[in-house]
Amino acid sequence: MEYLNEHLGIGKIGNIFVILSFVFALLSSISYFFAARINENTASWKRIARISFRIHGLSVIGIVGTLFVMLYSHYFEYEYVWHHSSKAMPMRYILSCFWEGQEGSFLLWTFWHVFIGLILQRSAKTFEAPVMSIVALVQAFLGSMLLGIFVFEHRIGSNPFTVLLRNHPDFANIPLFQNAHYLEKLDGRGLNPLLQNYWMTIHPPTLFLGFALTVVPFAYAIAGLWQKRYSEWIKPALPWAFFGVAVLGIGILMGGAWAYEALSFGGFWAWDPVENASLVPWLTLVGTAHLLLINKTNAQSLLAAFFLAILTFVLILYSTFLTRSGILGDSSVHAFTDLGMSGQLLIYLFFFLALGIVLLIINWKHFPKHAEEESIWSREFWMFVGAIVLLVSSFQIMFYTSMPVWNKLFDLHKAPAKDVITFYNNWQLPFAFITTLLIAVGQYFKYKNTELKWFLKKIAVPFILSLVISIALMFALNFDQAYFSILLFSSVFAAIANANYFVMVIKGKIRKAGASIAHIGFALVMLGVLISTSKKEIISRNTSSKSVESLGETFSNDANIILTQGDTLPMGKYMVTYKGKRIEGIHIMYDVDYFTRDDKGDLKKEFSLAPVVQTNPMMGNVAEPDTRHFASFDVYTHVTYADLSTSNPMNGAEKDEYDAPKTGTLSRGDSIYASNAVIIFDSLTTKVDKTLYHLEENDIVVQAHLTVMDLKTSYQAKPLYIIHENMVQPYEEKVDALGLKLMFVKLNPQNGKVDIAVQEKKSNKRDFIVMQALVFPYINILWLGAIIMAIGSLLSIVERLRKV
Amino acid sequence: MKKVHIIGIVIIAIAIGAIFTTLNNTSTYADFKEAAKEPSNEFHVVGKLNKAKESVYEPLVDANVFKFYMVDNKGTECKVVLHKNKPQDFERSEQIVIIGKMKGEEFQASDILMKCPSKYNDGKPQETANKTN
Repeated sequence: MEYLNEHLGIGKIGNIFVILSFVFALLSSISYFFAARINENTASWKRIARISFRIHGLSVIGIVGTLFVMLYSHYFEYEYVWHHSSKAMPMRYILSCFWEGQEGSFLLWTFWHVFIGLILQRSAKTFEAPVMSIVALVQAFLGSMLLGIFVFEHRIGSNPFTVLLRNHPDFANIPLFQNAHYLEKLDGRGLNPLLQNYWMTIHPPTLFLGFALTVVPFAYAIAGLWQKRYSEWIKPALPWAFFGVAVLGIGILMGGAWAYEALSFGGFWAWDPVENASLVPWLTLVGTAHLLLINKTNAQSLLAAFFLAILTFVLILYSTFLTRSGILGDSSVHAFTDLGMSGQLLIYLFFFLALGIVLLIINWKHFPKHAEEESIWSREFWMFVGAIVLLVSSFQIMFYTSMPVWNKLFDLHKAPAKDVITFYNNWQLPFAFITTLLIAVGQYFKYKNTELKWFLKKIAVPFILSLVISIALMFALNFDQAYFSILLFSSVFAAIANANYFVMVIKGKIRKAGASIAHIGFALVMLGVLISTSKKEIISRNTSSKSVESLGETFSNDANIILTQGDTLPMGKYMVTYKGKRIEGIHIMYDVDYFTRDDKGDLKKEFSLAPVVQTNPMMGNVAEPDTRHFASFDVYTHVTYADLSTSNPMNGAEKDEYDAPKTGTLSRGDSIYASNAVIIFDSLTTKVDKTLYHLEENDIVVQAHLTVMDLKTSYQAKPLYIIHENMVQPYEEKVDALGLKLMFVKLNPQNGKVDIAVQEKKSNKRDFIVMQALVFPYINILWLGAIIMAIGSLLSIVERLRKV
Repeated sequence: MKKVHIIGIVIIAIAIGAIFTTLNNTSTYADFKEAAKEPSNEFHVVGKLNKAKESVYEPLVDANVFKFYMVDNKGTECKVVLHKNKPQDFERSEQIVIIGKMKGEEFQASDILMKCPSKYNDGKPQETANKTN
């Protein structure tokens, strides 16, 4: 069949770019490999290699451009475009749908490598050939992930330009494709609404730049081993490593901020496998950067520096494997589907791991030897210890996160424990304690050796000051967890000691202050994490009805409050009212007002929050939190259960109809409840003015006097019990203000009890939501720390670049 | 003995500690029958919601209790009392994992994980109402 209006040409162009990018990356790698050996042809090999890498770079840019044009023009004949975009999607999300898919995110990664490679071509000088040979090889491997060709029945890569929707195996035999004009009727599946926010625009490129930067220390380390220039590689790799620390750190914190702002995990960090997968390489990268620093002048711990630089890059590949292979399955909220490329990823991982380890084993014996051991009073010793602590810390995280991998390898059936977060927190706390302590004292040690007296004299003031401040903080915060309080102290100590170092030792010279400022930032991040996590308070206790504890011991989970529309309930220090819902597209917003009592005891409105339920057509319903930020705390709320019907019962056509009656047998003084009022039976009387009710003289009439009270007003209702010609005659008494209908249906003359039936208007049935609310105290310290850390890191990178 | 050796020994000790505590701090996937044999242990049970039987959630009585019937992967049915709010979209779940202990005839679950079909409306190319040129 001939299909009409398909744009197959652009796919062919894109595919040519894919092939060019792969071929020239490979060619560049090989040429650089030969250029790295000194012989008479070095210069010409280098020329070929350089040009090849530039062609490769242009091809990658070509791929990116072509894919953009396809997304922009809604060419839904391509599976990738159909899968990740739609006509209705606003253009500002075009970047997001570009990297929503696996192919797009590999492309983003490759794209950053191109820029890094182009800079290295100019800056690496004598290291250019070996370093670029590795970078180009990585590019060839990543490029092959887009090839989408079959080699011996195995598909290599997934190519967005060659997979046409109508040829996709999942969609075979769809009648739409019997139609030559099918494109006219086709719209894309669209970008997942959960990802339609600005975080999806800024988080992935930052994170992938961080990932991409780890290739530089790796390539330098391999080059150093390969060319037996065991300590020369360190100086040029150093700024790259710190740049990676800064960018990847910002990327991870952005992920945390995204989770906190827009997803309802109930916090900014959940030790989710995907979060861990990016945290662990960051920890080893921090270790790498600091080891490079100490080996720059005195190459004492080269083995560790090489090992960590190699490990970090391999961990990036491992993380990619974990998150992209689908092996995490149930254990992660970030569900990525397998595109059948996990085998390919594993091969690359083992290739680079083996390359690094083999080179390390061959060269290890030839490392320069030092007769003298470094002094215990030297900066390099403690920085080395710090790097090792980070390594052990990341090992613990990775080992637990990899549980699904162990299950698969050893046929186990281990499931993650229920409270994973506490387990990780308890394990990581000592590491965080040692790390922050080392950050505090580290700079007060000098390289080689420190005079103990000088050290003690300089550290005494910040130490005592920190002790006082942290004890004051513990009292102010009512901080009773002993285990956490050691970290509280060490974090305060780290911040104060570095601030003191900045002012007293380097005398406020901003150019030298990068490390101090970055360390202050990190200490504040730890402090913010510690306080906001350990003093996090669930304020949405169930204040409305029966206690949950009655159900038994361990399962009290009363973290949810039920808010009925219009009622005002206490929650934490607020009084809260659920006002009603608003509907905007696929979002249902639940408006909740927060009040406090003023001096007179009157309610004063403080703020409103509108947590959202997104009726997501791709993932089901997703709750999105709404948070009120204050300087010293945040109120974070999300809906855990709500009626999602989009018609508001208050406006429905049925609102004036009455529900089925509810009958109660009452003695004098007894009461019966309606959903909005209490009805009290006061008295009976037979003295009724019959003419008023158009009754006949022979009719028997008894009147009940009822008091109907809602929160504000009380009404009198007087329903009648009428016997007309030996028949009970119906009579309804209405309280229109409350939407109630009352009927006197039975009289028991023996004991004076009466049966009263109550009917309510349907509009009385009020909407309700079940909500969770948490208070995160001092979470702003975390975000402030993140910004300070970024500034400090950039300062130190600028300073290092000046020295190179 | 060099300092490096001491550090090495400490690292190995911590690493072994990490491995063992990690292996101990796990729950096990099981079915209802296995969970009933060890009522003191916590298990993860994987299965499907029995849609034929009624599930009960009365938030106005208690928002933190939700009762339903589940059939595990071996076909055993059991009443589950989840001590949490009813998850949104519960009925659409393809597969559920409950975490908790067996208590008598009921499984007392403290948490639930759901796997929802990732592609609603079949995720298949469909004709759209609005034609464009």
